[in-house]
Amino acid sequence: MTRYIFRRLLQAIPLLLIISIVLFVMMQAMGDPLATMGGRKVTKPEDRIRLARQLGLDKPVCVQYIYWLIGNDWTRPVGEIPKPNAGIFTPIVQCLDPRNYIDADNPGTRKGVLRGDWGISLVNRQPVTKVIGARLPNTLLLMVTAEVIIIGAALLIGIYSALNQYTAFDNFVTATTFVLYSMPVFFFALLAMYIFSVNFRKWGLPYLPTVGMFEPNVGQTPAQVLWHMVLPVATLSFGFVAGYSRYIRSAMLETLGQDYVRTAKAKGLPRPEVIYIHALKNAALPIVTLVALDLPFLLGGAIVTERIFGWPGMGRLFLDHVERSDTAVVMGIMMMIAFAVIIFQIIADITYAWLDPRIRYK
Amino acid sequence: MRRLNIIFSFLIVASVIISACATATPTTVVTEAPAVPVTEAPVVVPTEVPPVVEPTSVPAAKKVARFIWTQEFDTLSPIYTNMWFVSVVYPAYLCMPWMFDDQNAAFPYLVTEIPTADNGGLTNEGRTITLKLRDDIVWSDGEPITSADFKFTYDMLMSDKNAVNTRSPYDQIESFETPDAQTVVITFPDPYAPWLALLFSGSTSGTPIIPQHILQPVFDAEGTLDTAAWNKAPTVGCGPFVFDEWQSGSFARFVANDNYWLGRPKLDELFFQFVPDSASQIAALVAGDGDIGTFFDYPDLPTLEKAGVKVVNSFSGYNEGIYINMHPERGNPALKDVRVRQAIAYAFNREKLVKDLLLGLTGVAATDWDKSPWVDPTITPYPYDPDKAKALLTEAGWTDTNGDGTVDKDGVELVLTYGTTSRQVRQDTQAVAQQDLAAVGIGTELQSYDADTFFLGYQDDGPAATFKIDLVEYSDSPDFPDPNTAIWLCSDIPTDANPAGTSPTGLCDEKLDGLFQKQASQVDYAARQATFHEITRYIFDQAFWIGIWLDPDLFGFSNRMLNVKMSGATPFFNLAEWDVSQ
Repeated sequence: MTRYIFRRLLQAIPLLLIISIVLFVMMQAMGDPLATMGGRKVTKPEDRIRLARQLGLDKPVCVQYIYWLIGNDWTRPVGEIPKPNAGIFTPIVQCLDPRNYIDADNPGTRKGVLRGDWGISLVNRQPVTKVIGARLPNTLLLMVTAEVIIIGAALLIGIYSALNQYTAFDNFVTATTFVLYSMPVFFFALLAMYIFSVNFRKWGLPYLPTVGMFEPNVGQTPAQVLWHMVLPVATLSFGFVAGYSRYIRSAMLETLGQDYVRTAKAKGLPRPEVIYIHALKNAALPIVTLVALDLPFLLGGAIVTERIFGWPGMGRLFLDHVERSDTAVVMGIMMMIAFAVIIFQIIADITYAWLDPRIRYK
Repeated sequence: MRRLNIIFSFLIVASVIISACATATPTTVVTEAPAVPVTEAPVVVPTEVPPVVEPTSVPAAKKVARFIWTQEFDTLSPIYTNMWFVSVVYPAYLCMPWMFDDQNAAFPYLVTEIPTADNGGLTNEGRTITLKLRDDIVWSDGEPITSADFKFTYDMLMSDKNAVNTRSPYDQIESFETPDAQTVVITFPDPYAPWLALLFSGSTSGTPIIPQHILQPVFDAEGTLDTAAWNKAPTVGCGPFVFDEWQSGSFARFVANDNYWLGRPKLDELFFQFVPDSASQIAALVAGDGDIGTFFDYPDLPTLEKAGVKVVNSFSGYNEGIYINMHPERGNPALKDVRVRQAIAYAFNREKLVKDLLLGLTGVAATDWDKSPWVDPTITPYPYDPDKAKALLTEAGWTDTNGDGTVDKDGVELVLTYGTTSRQVRQDTQAVAQQDLAAVGIGTELQSYDADTFFLGYQDDGPAATFKIDLVEYSDSPDFPDPNTAIWLCSDIPTDANPAGTSPTGLCDEKLDGLFQKQASQVDYAARQATFHEITRYIFDQAFWIGIWLDPDLFGFSNRMLNVKMSGATPFFNLAEWDVSQ
């Protein structure tokens, strides 16, 4: 198993490299970060040219990628390099010209991702690690809470429905889950906000807050944060609870019909032991796959929910910086998620082996 | 499983505690220096917006004005941001020689008087501007504000070590002198008419000063201000409020500056809640979770007003319109005929568009300078008159010879490309215009782009900058409240030799070029106004620009807010006088 994990980690290195190249090139198509710089006025052309030079955005994309990867603190000034006139092949000609890699108007100070320097945000000139680090706890708080509720509620509903197939409760849950599953997140979020925040207040009922993490007059206390989490967590949970509970119900129904379960019952094992030890363990395999695929994306936050409820998480960070074509921050977020996907896939494989002794990795 | 639950529980509890306990920079408000009585602050008259509420005998709670802000600040340093959502907040924590009042007229703030030729502030035929600073102005830490702060700000803007957002107009300055602590003398090589709007001014186009005593050591140590901590946490400022805390993505807070030289503001705190979703912003304002919002969509205004939110229009120089591509080679030949351009103006029912799409809450724009004193007052928008449009097209030789509904001439159909950004109201406008123009036989191909693509420069093959679009729709207000713009100059047409050109029309009209060059150096107000009357009349008659709607900034205020006055140039100019009813 140790060799298997080690091999998987080694395989991840070229994979991450390829992912980084693809993402970096795609980011160049997101528009010019200097076009308006988040303002209402078009950046003056002379400022745009100067800023492109100062921020290294006038370099060919391959040079920018190399600087992002290994830094530019080894460069030295070599003077102005004339732009080649090779039509659509100009970028390739520039990439092949080694002078582009050692030239820098101001020899840089960046160390590059491989040496732990994820660069500086174009938007706020803060280190990427600091920008992401400020948002990650908020996202984890929201997403982990939601995931715990999702898994817990889905298990309860799914197992109960499977054990009480075609009862009134099962039919009710089935209908409800279809309704919830087909409801767009933004619609549920705004509906919940208008009902429980706006209208409840209007009707004189206890109401939930609309946006933010706390009331400015009260301060950022744990109670305030929890109170402000109610609607975002509910929004994040409703669709997933509906979906997961259907998976669990199906898996449990299939497992409960297996011969070994019937044998366990015939042997006189207690019902809870048959259901939770024998049946659920096998039924959990597909759920593990789903959860393992979902967990890395918890780091990425929930773009719609965070945006609507003004929750300061990674989803909003990602969106804000994509809109400003901020390559450094977007690359940081995407690479973090890519790395997490690989790690959680390995964890999922290990969990399979624990749940199903028939699985062996070499 | 139990262990997993324990770990999850621990994570949740830890995250709640971390989030709750996370605080940014603590406040550094200094309270040693005595407050100076108000001397030249703007006279504040309670606005008609909210009702005045009598104070009660209940112990006063903290007075907090809650802003629902749809765009988070990128930085709070004025030399590094281009964001309107930051620049409108400058009057809270920064200061400038002058600001603009609710009539968009300049009034002195850091200076004793606005420089004029009469008071000796404007000399050398308008080339030299002398600022005389007050002697009682201080930063929030008690340090005096002097001419050295102005010189330092200028030096930082011009330093190649700093990747500042703009150097305009400082890159045109010939000399910058500070003969004493209260005097700043700035000389331009030629008379520079827009100085009042741009030079350290309080308009959203201007750049307030930054504190030398705080930032000079940072620059000396790090060689740049790009990553200075002050940019994100300007704990020393000079406005009525001082920065207290900014949590990324969540909120920013400014507290009353007890050291403010015009006296402590009436509010205790400004709280900016960052809520990027416009529907959520409306819900928060309707629910009473916020007091101030802005950048509303017109369809949301009835909901706000029904909930008691007072919406205030603030004209800041933005007028939505269509720039006609007149580029000599790349422009559509049909548009070279003034009758075709005028036909577009007559055919597009802009009154109906404003009434239906914008709920009649604004008006039709006639010129790019509407709602300012620079427009010839005899100009009124082209009326909706499709028959006149058809007649003009026929007169110009464009008729529908093949019966396909689109007019043609010499075998060429009159089909124009019409591009703008992906902003929803613009796309809706395109759809309406397409129908109206089709009714008189003008075909259109609609294009919409993300703003960062639409505004790409010439060297980046931007669609407008390279004249790939016949009708280019957007609004801009480069130097408001000054009327100056370079986009109509022949020298500003982007070319291979001049990729930095800004002209969206590609027009090189000798008369217009001469008029724009003339106004740029006219420091006499009346003479410049006369020139601009001629400019606006000429552009209107030639239909080089077709106005669509007046695009004021929309601000909403809850009925708690008192004493609010708004300016298009310095929206929050009287922030120190704002109050809330308890």
